[in-house]
Amino acid sequence: MNDRPEVFRGNRIFLACIYWAFVLYVFVPLILMVLMGFKDSNFIGFPIKSWTLDWYTGVFADAEVLSTFGYSVAIAVLSTLISIFVGTWIAVLLEGRKFWGRTLLFGLAVLPALVPGIISAIAFRIYARWLGIEPGMGAIVWAHAVHNVPFVVLVVMARLSTLPKSQIEAARDLGADPLISFIRVTLPYLVPAILGASIFCLLLSFDDFVRSFFLGGYEPTLPVLIFAKLRSGMSPEINAIATVALFLTAAIGIWAERFTRRMNKEN
Amino acid sequence: MTEDKSGRTFWARLASWGPYHALMRLTTASPRRQFLILAAFPILWVLSQHLGPMLQMLRVSLTDAYPVAPGVEQHFTLDNYGRFFGDSIFWMPFFRTLIFAGVFTFCTLIITYPVAYFLARHVSRKNQMLLLLLLLIPFWVGEIVRTYAIMILLGNTGAVNLALKTLGLIDRPIPFMYTSFSMGVGIVYLTALYMLLPLYSSLEKLPKSMNEAAADLGAGAWTRFRRVSLPLTIEGISSGCTLVFLISTGFYATPVLLGGPSTTVFAETIAGFFHVAGDEWPTGAAFATIMFAAALAITATFQKLMNALRKGDKK
Amino acid sequence: MTDQTTPLVRIEGLSKHFGETVALNNLTLDIARGEFVTFLGPSGCGKSTTLRILGGFERPTTGRVILDGEDVTNQPPEKRHVNMVFQDYALFPHMTVAQNVAFGLELKGMRKSEIQRRSAEIMSFLELESYATRYPAQLSGGQRQRVALARALAPDPALLLLDEPLGALDAKLRGQVQQELKSIQRRTHKTFFFVTHDQEEALTMSDRIVVMNKGKVEQDGTPEELYFRPASRFVAEFIGETNLLSGRMRGSDGDKIVMDWEGTTLLGKAPAGVPGEGQPITASVRLEKLGFSAERPQTANAVQGRVVAKTFLGSRMAMQIAVGENGALLKAYVDADTGQSLGSDPVWIGWEPDNMAVLND
Repeated sequence: MNDRPEVFRGNRIFLACIYWAFVLYVFVPLILMVLMGFKDSNFIGFPIKSWTLDWYTGVFADAEVLSTFGYSVAIAVLSTLISIFVGTWIAVLLEGRKFWGRTLLFGLAVLPALVPGIISAIAFRIYARWLGIEPGMGAIVWAHAVHNVPFVVLVVMARLSTLPKSQIEAARDLGADPLISFIRVTLPYLVPAILGASIFCLLLSFDDFVRSFFLGGYEPTLPVLIFAKLRSGMSPEINAIATVALFLTAAIGIWAERFTRRMNKEN
Repeated sequence: MTEDKSGRTFWARLASWGPYHALMRLTTASPRRQFLILAAFPILWVLSQHLGPMLQMLRVSLTDAYPVAPGVEQHFTLDNYGRFFGDSIFWMPFFRTLIFAGVFTFCTLIITYPVAYFLARHVSRKNQMLLLLLLLIPFWVGEIVRTYAIMILLGNTGAVNLALKTLGLIDRPIPFMYTSFSMGVGIVYLTALYMLLPLYSSLEKLPKSMNEAAADLGAGAWTRFRRVSLPLTIEGISSGCTLVFLISTGFYATPVLLGGPSTTVFAETIAGFFHVAGDEWPTGAAFATIMFAAALAITATFQKLMNALRKGDKK
Repeated sequence: MTDQTTPLVRIEGLSKHFGETVALNNLTLDIARGEFVTFLGPSGCGKSTTLRILGGFERPTTGRVILDGEDVTNQPPEKRHVNMVFQDYALFPHMTVAQNVAFGLELKGMRKSEIQRRSAEIMSFLELESYATRYPAQLSGGQRQRVALARALAPDPALLLLDEPLGALDAKLRGQVQQELKSIQRRTHKTFFFVTHDQEEALTMSDRIVVMNKGKVEQDGTPEELYFRPASRFVAEFIGETNLLSGRMRGSDGDKIVMDWEGTTLLGKAPAGVPGEGQPITASVRLEKLGFSAERPQTANAVQGRVVAKTFLGSRMAMQIAVGENGALLKAYVDADTGQSLGSDPVWIGWEPDNMAVLND
């Protein structure tokens, strides 16, 4: 930065302050929330006078919370598998040769990501009813899968666009039919993109509230459980649950970020 | 590679396996047929799963009963749309939502632009990714958890009030919660990333020398920003605002948890029709359709405007 | 099928249209077994289109391709006994060198032991054994090029297609690889179909060169024929450096043509079709075929001129000589000693009729 002209220094200090203020804005609420989970009192609020780990031991002893965790994870995994399969297929079609209506198809492919949350949730609710899918796990998995397809399409398309056409031609030239060249040449090339998109879908599904809320049956997903508990009053127990969820998602997110970066570097 | 008795690899055996061979011959007989087979599933999926729910919502909004009870006949009607205009309890939240979303989008833009600008222009390439990653971490955390974090921050016994009290600025806590302010803080918190990333990527594309050239020609900091950076990042601003606006109109849990009776948004109104039993679904569907149409119309107009602005600038 | 007298490849009336543009216009050509044939031309001349049709990556608009007596026009690439070395090599980045080489063998349905034997054989042939377990990203440009060649040769194709495979190499390495490629072709007796826009490369390696322009064949012959007896102005200018002499047809003398140029009468080799008397014609003389002397030389063609510019090129010098009343310029190469001795005095330049080709257009 030393080669920058003197005139820019004043701006830089000013902008750096804004940046760090923004960092505070996004981190402080979460840090406070985590701290509150260690408060030795039923009452949420500052100051914290004494500390305890009881809320955490309570969370891990609570069968309902644990089964909710499992339920959310199962939904995330299943919906991700579907999104990846469908999204990759759509991306391969869209990144292939030009055809009439490709732009339209692309628009439709990313549509679910652009529909505002509440509208998407009730549209899925109505459609699930029409298809005869009962509220519950199946309905949530389906809604999450459809909603997450656009992200897979975008990520896989970006990666596919950098695959030289000659790679496929070489595979065909050496005797592979279209399907075998896809499995043995295209798919290995897409692995980083597919992994990255998978993590993204897992987190989107795990964190989703509005679709899970409107399509869920009696069993809540984790965000729905936290929401329900919040409506009946704040308690450090909720902080403990939320903190566990927070660390789980943040850890996966950071790991995925580093992992995809390493994969990209290698290629 | 697994091996069979013949010693050939799996792929060679698959390729020469009768049924597979026949299938490939059938599907790849001509480029046209191969394309149709590749295209069939995505087209069917997109129509039935992406477009289908929206069309079904539209269809239900035009009926008088859904789900249809046995022995009841379903009729076409526009009454559901009529209901919207008939009662201020419906259209007030609607306009409130649009205004809120607009204001929150603008706030997000104002807050994140300097942050993106700092990252893209004043940080070395190596640190850029690190500082950006730092901001991404909180955004991996879900909507509900982050909303709850804001509740703790802004509550009457929350961190902000405690800090103000300790500093001796206030005697009694300021009631931040359950107002449009707390809602705004929460929604900006949730959407900031969707603004930050498009802004960052459009700013990053600008060559740094451009700013220096402007400075060289005698432009001050404000002029440089207004005449160089701003016009060249309209694309990022436009897509960031569109995204944040659409997302803001769709929040349900955050307004419920952070807002109060005077800040009811349209999402809560729509949701109301799906909580009560009975034949309220068509009305809910109609209201959701109105909301979606309005949001799309506004963002489309906004994008047209921004495009015109950009083209005007190029002249 | 293995009749050695029939051509390996028959191209019959091949045309390819991309929308309005005609990439290839009614090409008919035979390629013999064991031939190193090069398609040479500027970009967009149709050479790559021909190659891609032979490989099966494009289907021609009209015409047929017959390989070893079998019509393969509509066969997909995986069914053809043709392999290709791609311009960017197209090595599979997630496979080792050995896996890349084995890929084609595997899909041919070879036994595992056979695959191993054949890969080892081809890798030792191309001196790649020590790189077998490396990934393409860990190889240099020249090594990658060899791997691409090994991978394409491994399935023992009837015809090997090479799509400007030396373009990515630096100039020094290129010369070495050219020799290597030619010797590999000799030792394997394979038919090589080479595509390039580099005339020097084509002259060095080929048994036969097909010069293409605007989707059509300009000339088809050995490197020597093309160089010394170009059939058209395009070929004369595209291959090597040349002097183009625009004059007027005066008559013919046996297999020679008599022409007027800058007030002098010159003799040149006749093209296929003899133009009429008085017609404007062009003749081509290579730079190194012009000889300098102080006295009038004994050659059939001789003109007097004045050196106007010299450029020192190391072992030789490039000269520019103004000839005749209008000062028409001739370019010539001479060895450095001769070049230095030439001053501003008038000099004689002479050349034999055999070294001057009268062009067809």
